[in-house]
Amino acid sequence: MDLIAERLDRISPSQTIAIATKARALKAAGRDVISLSAGEPDFDTPENVKQAAIRAIEAGDTKYTDVAGTVALRRAVAEKFKRDSGIDYESEEIIISTGGKQVIFNAMVATLNPGDEAIIPTPCWVSYPDIVALADGTPVLVPCGQNNGFKLRAEDLEGAITPRTKWFLLNNPCNPTGTAYSAKELRPICDVLLRHPDVWVFTDDIYEKLAYDGFKPATIVEVEPRLRERTITMNGCSKAYAMTGWRIGFAGGPRKLIKAMDKLQSQSTSNTSSISQAAAVEALSGPQDFIAGMVETYKGRRDLVVSMLNEAPGVHCRTPEGAFYVFPSVHGCIGKTSRGGAEIRGDESFVIALLDEEGVAAVHGSAFMYPGHFRISYATDTESLREACTRIQRFCQGLS
Amino acid sequence: MPALAERMQRASVGATVAMTVKAREMAARGIPVISLAIGEPDFDSPRHAIEAGYQAALRGDTKYPPQDGQPALKQAIQHKFRRDQGLDYALDEICVSNGGKQILWNALMATLDDGDEVVIPAPYWAAYPLVAKVIGGEPVFVSCPQNNGFRLRPEDLDAAITPRTKWLILNYPNNPTGAAASADDLAVLGEVLLRHPQVWVMSDDMYEHLSFDGPHATLAAVEPRLRDRVLTVSGVSKTYAMTGWRIGFAAGPRALIKAMVNIQGQVASGVSTVGQAAAAAALDGPQDEVARHAAAYRRRRDLVVDALNQAPGLSCHRPEGAFYVYPSIAGCLGKTTEAGTRLDTDEDFALALLAEQHVAVVHGAAFGMSPYIRISYATDDASLAEACRRIQAFCAALR
Repeated sequence: MDLIAERLDRISPSQTIAIATKARALKAAGRDVISLSAGEPDFDTPENVKQAAIRAIEAGDTKYTDVAGTVALRRAVAEKFKRDSGIDYESEEIIISTGGKQVIFNAMVATLNPGDEAIIPTPCWVSYPDIVALADGTPVLVPCGQNNGFKLRAEDLEGAITPRTKWFLLNNPCNPTGTAYSAKELRPICDVLLRHPDVWVFTDDIYEKLAYDGFKPATIVEVEPRLRERTITMNGCSKAYAMTGWRIGFAGGPRKLIKAMDKLQSQSTSNTSSISQAAAVEALSGPQDFIAGMVETYKGRRDLVVSMLNEAPGVHCRTPEGAFYVFPSVHGCIGKTSRGGAEIRGDESFVIALLDEEGVAAVHGSAFMYPGHFRISYATDTESLREACTRIQRFCQGLS
Repeated sequence: MPALAERMQRASVGATVAMTVKAREMAARGIPVISLAIGEPDFDSPRHAIEAGYQAALRGDTKYPPQDGQPALKQAIQHKFRRDQGLDYALDEICVSNGGKQILWNALMATLDDGDEVVIPAPYWAAYPLVAKVIGGEPVFVSCPQNNGFRLRPEDLDAAITPRTKWLILNYPNNPTGAAASADDLAVLGEVLLRHPQVWVMSDDMYEHLSFDGPHATLAAVEPRLRDRVLTVSGVSKTYAMTGWRIGFAAGPRALIKAMVNIQGQVASGVSTVGQAAAAAALDGPQDEVARHAAAYRRRRDLVVDALNQAPGLSCHRPEGAFYVYPSIAGCLGKTTEAGTRLDTDEDFALALLAEQHVAVVHGAAFGMSPYIRISYATDDASLAEACRRIQAFCAALR
């Protein structure tokens, strides 16, 4: 009998191991490597949030909390949903988890039977299909064309829905493309969903606060309240407040599903850290000016990166609405050979040669189920970004 | 509304949580409830752990941690296993999770195919069968009666093992009975296990530092030939009164740890960095608080056992560890309470005790052995004395 369960074979082998291993080896060998591969803010957690955590520790808030989170944090989350999206959730319609990922895991494991389908627009965060598969479901990937700004078209969603469809998952703004949907753009998607009452909707809004040029990412229930009873609205503190390591994700949704997720969480991890929960209350309810400063910085970096990448021959980069990623196409580079003699057969050989020859680490599009592109995270200081883009330009100029 | 998954019919909320919620609701209505339902230390986390936690926050140690745990914490765990058990583990044989509960979840989800069996000695922590069932495994219970000190007998273990057995879960000191196992007890179980090479063993040592009547023993150390089939689980929640920080950990064979980390990557990713920094300080720092707490628990155990044995109809075994006692209420069944409730089961007993005397305990059925109740004595002495007085009054009034 094998030790390892069959379900583990369904998790896709990591697409990023080769590149991460090489980046580490180069760094260890003393090479100057600029990493643009991290999916996490380079800002520090705001001081008022840290102080709230320290007060909680000193006050002895170091005991088990309710599995679904403290009353104070669930109240702060309810206020956040009301304030930002005009959605009313009761405390029993909110769950606090160990990062947004656990919200996804709980929702999928609570609902998917073997063979149930989950529709995932691509490019996507690879954890979506992995978690669906781990929960015995079947991921159904729907590619979203670059020519449509990587946005899902309503007719493509309609075409993907079958009697086995259990979920539709949307990430808005999106990792890895930075694409975001306005209320107007979500309208036709909501119309399709209204016609299919047996489909659950999961909206991952973790990058909500990171949108530029006045763009306001909308969320499903805000646009279509009639979908409220079958939608999980997920968000968290990681990206908005630079709190990745604190591990706080949360969601609002219909009572019955939240209750099922709570039940599962009571078996898998129980509550998330009591100290982190106290910090999250301050993040959500305290002063919000941290966000505006951060967003302005990200916007400056986005504009710099997009304009410099579009000067690199063979690269085409769309200006995304949000998040801290760009997802340029390298179709114009494929089939060429680098100065160092590497043949660029696709997005993976592009990023490996770029790392080898210029010391810039990025992630290839295949890791997001979307070849022919690569992802750059601009959650890095401006000088490093400028230098990295100069190197990318030089690399592309050297292709022949 | 779309449907939930079939597996949710196999999922249920533990009785401990249900009882705690009920007690909390009564307290919120102003009723002076004493809750002996939850297994949580009433002490504060150690000062040096607290300081390490907030130093981590202040210096910006608040970014995504590696999914298997921060290197500093894993080193502290490595050192802990060497110091306390004489066990040597490489860093890639160690992982950190959100509490001991997630270790259980990760291990079972990484290994159980539908129908695989998990041998669980009863009474047991309710999470073992609940998690196994949600994941698709089959719990196989082995009764460990009070006349053997609630310990697993080797012949009963041998009889429970089948070709489909994938795991045996050992938990000493035990929740809910407080039973501990000596090195000799474990050695005879080890002999059985050596004859069944398909069986993995989870040794849940969460209460390892609460062993009052002899040194704590653990299977991987007692029987080194089993080392590569044993997952040894512990954490900082009970030893250092750090439940809210959510840090559990485990050491075991590399292939299993790798698969568990893989699952954790999908469930919740890494563990709070602030909690990890505090846990490393707790494991590496001075250990004298641990002995002080153990002495306090031992005193409370004696207080509670003596008081309960004076309650008519109760018979309380004196356990070796943890912070629970598991008295039999057989002598109360069939009787009627002062308020007129007939007691046919241990659940009736627990509900009536809460309603009439405002003491929350958990009924034995939730732990797989009736008619008993579990009492957690991780509460201050005055509350314990008062709770025992109320239990005595409750029992004395039975007709």
